[in-house]
Amino acid sequence: MQRGYWIRSKPLYDSLVWQTPAVAHLVIAGGEGGIAVLKLFQQMYPKDPIQVLYTDLATANKNYSDILQQIVPEELELCDSEESLLNNLEQRLKDCTMGTHFYVAGSEAFMWHVLQKTRAAGVQDVDVQKELCGTLARPVYCVHCKTITRDVHHNVFPCSNCGRHLFVRDHFSRRLGAYMGVMVDAEEPGNIPQIEEVYP
Amino acid sequence: MSILNVRVAEIEQVTDVVKHFTLVEENGRPLPRFSGGSHVVVSMNINGRIHRNPYSLMGSPENTDSYHISVRRQEKSRGGSVFMHDGVKVGSELQITYPVNLFSLSKLGKKHILVAGGIGITPFMSQIADLNRLGDDYEMHYAFRSAEHGAFVEQLKQMCGDRLHLHIESEGQRINFQNLLSNQPLGTHIYVCGPEPMVNALLLTAKDLGWPKTHVHSEQFLAPPIGESFMVQLAKSNMEIEVPGDMSMLEAMEEAGLEPDFLCRGGACGRCEVEVLECDGALMHNDHYLSDAEKASGNKIMPCVSRARCQKLLLNI
Repeated sequence: MQRGYWIRSKPLYDSLVWQTPAVAHLVIAGGEGGIAVLKLFQQMYPKDPIQVLYTDLATANKNYSDILQQIVPEELELCDSEESLLNNLEQRLKDCTMGTHFYVAGSEAFMWHVLQKTRAAGVQDVDVQKELCGTLARPVYCVHCKTITRDVHHNVFPCSNCGRHLFVRDHFSRRLGAYMGVMVDAEEPGNIPQIEEVYP
Repeated sequence: MSILNVRVAEIEQVTDVVKHFTLVEENGRPLPRFSGGSHVVVSMNINGRIHRNPYSLMGSPENTDSYHISVRRQEKSRGGSVFMHDGVKVGSELQITYPVNLFSLSKLGKKHILVAGGIGITPFMSQIADLNRLGDDYEMHYAFRSAEHGAFVEQLKQMCGDRLHLHIESEGQRINFQNLLSNQPLGTHIYVCGPEPMVNALLLTAKDLGWPKTHVHSEQFLAPPIGESFMVQLAKSNMEIEVPGDMSMLEAMEEAGLEPDFLCRGGACGRCEVEVLECDGALMHNDHYLSDAEKASGNKIMPCVSRARCQKLLLNI
C-alpha cells in the first residue's frame, strides 16, 4: 500500500455494533471471530430476537465455543465445522425477513464465504456488519489456474495448485471472496523478490 | 445535452385532470431504448420563456416507436402542466431530452413491491413491463383519491393480474405500510412514488422496521417552488443575474445564456449541484439530494429547486 493511494476494491472492516431499529439479529462468527461476538454482548443489546451461529476453526489460534456458551444469553448454535455452519446459515436465511440485521466476524476467507450465502438470499454485502479478527491472512485467487489458496501470509507464495509464484495484490473480488494473485516472475523466470510475511 | 425532436401523435384524456401523450420521433425514426423507471425532460416555450419539466416514460421499454408520458394538471404551479393540457395538440412539436433513469429496479432484488400514489403511477408502468419480461416476483400497490381518479386501472389489471392491489381513499382503503413492510422475505426491494406525505410515511416505516436504505427507493420530482426574487453572482462566468420569483436559479442561468449541467430538474439527482462561495443570508434548500448535514453546512446548493434569501450570493459557476 502506497501513501495516498489505495485499491478501491480492497475491503475495509469495522467493529460490530448492534444496528437498530431491527426486527431480528443474526450473528455469524468463526474461530477468532468469537471475540467480536463477546464484544457485541458487552454493548447494550437490543430487545429483538438474536441468533448466534459459531464454529471453532482448526486454523484459529484461539477458539471461543466454551466462553460463548456461558456469555450468549439466548439462541446460540455451535457448529462443528465451517461447512456445517454455512449449511445451517443457508437454512436459517429462508426464515429471515426484511429488517433482520446481519453481523459476521472472523478471518477474511470465513467472512466472504458467509457473505456468499447472505448475498444469495438477497442481502447486499454493504448491509452486513463485518469485523476482521485474528489474522490478516488472505484468500488468494490464482489468475492463471483459477485456484483459490486460503490463509496466505506472504507477499509472494507458491500457488497451491499450479505452483507458480504469485504476487498478492490488493485487488479484491467480492464474488470470489479472494485477492488477485499474479505470477511474479513471468517476465524473468526465477527472479523472485524477497518473500516476507506481510499478512500475519 | 442531446435533444430529441418529437411530435405529439395522440392525446388521451385519462381522468378529468390527467392527459396521456403519445410522442413519436419527428421523422418517424425509432426512439432510443430505455429502462423501466426512466424519465425525459420536456421543453416548453411558454410566452417566450423556456420551461423544462421531467415526466416518467410509461410505455414498454421494448417499444421504440413511441414514448408515452402522462401529465397531471396542476393549477397552482408555474404553468408547465397547464401548457401541456391546453397548449399542446395532436401534431404539436416538442423537444425532449434522452431518457435518464433515476428510479431503476434493483437487479439484485428477489421481490419488488411497487407503491404509487395518484399520478405517481407513471414510472411503474414501464417498470412493470420490465418485471413481466424478467418474470420477477412483484406486487403493485396503487392508491388514489376516488374511483374517477384511478388513471390506467384497466391497463394495470391487464398487466399485473392479481399482483395489482388498489387502495381507493374515498372507500376508506388506505395502504397500511406497517403491514405491507412486515414479514417480507429477505431480498425484497420497495419503490415508492407519490405525494410527499405518502413517500415520507413509507420511508419512515421502512426505517423503523430495520429495512436497509439500499432496499428502499423513492422518486419525487419537485416543481421549483415560487419565492421572492433575489440576485446571484456567478464567479466563473463573471455575471450577476436576477432570479425572478417564478423562476428557478437554473432557469435564470439558462435565460442568461449559460448552459449549466442538469438531469432531473426536480431536486432528485444532484447533477446540477453548485458550490456556494459566499452567502450573507439564508439558503432555502428544497431538494431531496443533499443530506441534512450538507444543507446545514451551506457549501452547496441545487439550483433547480432551491432558492436564497440574502443580499449577496456568490456561486462557483
